[in-house]
Amino acid sequence: MTINAITDVEFGEELPAFEPDTSLPNVKQFAVAAGWDGPRFTDHEYARKEGLPGALVPGIMSQGFLSAMIHHWAPTAEVRSIDTIFRAPCVVDQPYFINGVVTDIDEDSGTVEIDLTVTNDAKETRVFGTARVIIPS
Amino acid sequence: MILDLHAHSIKSDDGRAKVQNYCQWIKAREIAIDGFVLTEHRQFDDESDYKELGQKHGITILKGAEVETEYGHVLIFGVTKALQESFDFTNIHLSLAQVIESCDAHGAVAVPCHPGRKRVGMAAHLAEFGIPAGVRTVEVYNGGSRGVEDQIAQQMADEQSYLGVGGSDAHIVSHIGRCATEFAAAINSELELVEALKGSDFKALKISQEDA
Repeated sequence: MTINAITDVEFGEELPAFEPDTSLPNVKQFAVAAGWDGPRFTDHEYARKEGLPGALVPGIMSQGFLSAMIHHWAPTAEVRSIDTIFRAPCVVDQPYFINGVVTDIDEDSGTVEIDLTVTNDAKETRVFGTARVIIPS
Repeated sequence: MILDLHAHSIKSDDGRAKVQNYCQWIKAREIAIDGFVLTEHRQFDDESDYKELGQKHGITILKGAEVETEYGHVLIFGVTKALQESFDFTNIHLSLAQVIESCDAHGAVAVPCHPGRKRVGMAAHLAEFGIPAGVRTVEVYNGGSRGVEDQIAQQMADEQSYLGVGGSDAHIVSHIGRCATEFAAAINSELELVEALKGSDFKALKISQEDA
């Protein structure tokens, strides 16, 4: 269901989840565009030599995935903040799942708070946080 | 009675959940817990009173703390003014022995949490510092555990004959109640929680979304 007004939003509502494209070509494209094209994001071998589990999905790319999920759900939403805590790295070429759920609604101000998580195949939380979005009345 | 013994609110630096939203979530999703304990990082929340909120939702809301020692993080239940004056909760280099000694002296209980976690868990420090004296109970189920962290915690508990509790370690609303502790006794206050933890009639639980 696409959300166009805050009156459509329900507490506990789950946003449509999706599996982001964390393939190396996609991450490379993003990293170059964002000016973050260092080898730790674009080169598995280099990243492993640095002691990392592989090339990393940049944190701002994860935030972009979370923001994209919100706009797929509510195209007219204004994202005021996305506040993320990075608990464990997201590695390029591995599957992750982006989820969101509504945890607070203030109809007077039009503000909705959304819990955000990035989990892996083992259902371990790699990134979590909250978003504050304004949805028109 | 089932309590989630480990949760953080916006009072913690990395907590993003408002307490009223935890209550709403538990009721809306029918999470199988009767209450939770707010264990804010490096502090005890003296100023908040959640009695009315708890009564409104029929949920027991208690308060504790999570402090940091050379053995990793430790939950404290039964925090009093006197306990707070006995050591600095904000110190990230506390001595576990001192924390346990102070808790014993002031009627509180110290429980090392997520002991299977690297750096901030007790198991990772046993080789360096040895088996600490005075630990009786550890958190064997933590809702934020990854990989084999809970297995490491349980194995350590088995080897040392520790009792086990569970807590979600929730920092966002939707993570409350992922793990919890079932008590035989009814618990409606921090004092009753301490009494129950000084006994042995409790067990750690994992609560899946499907069970909730």
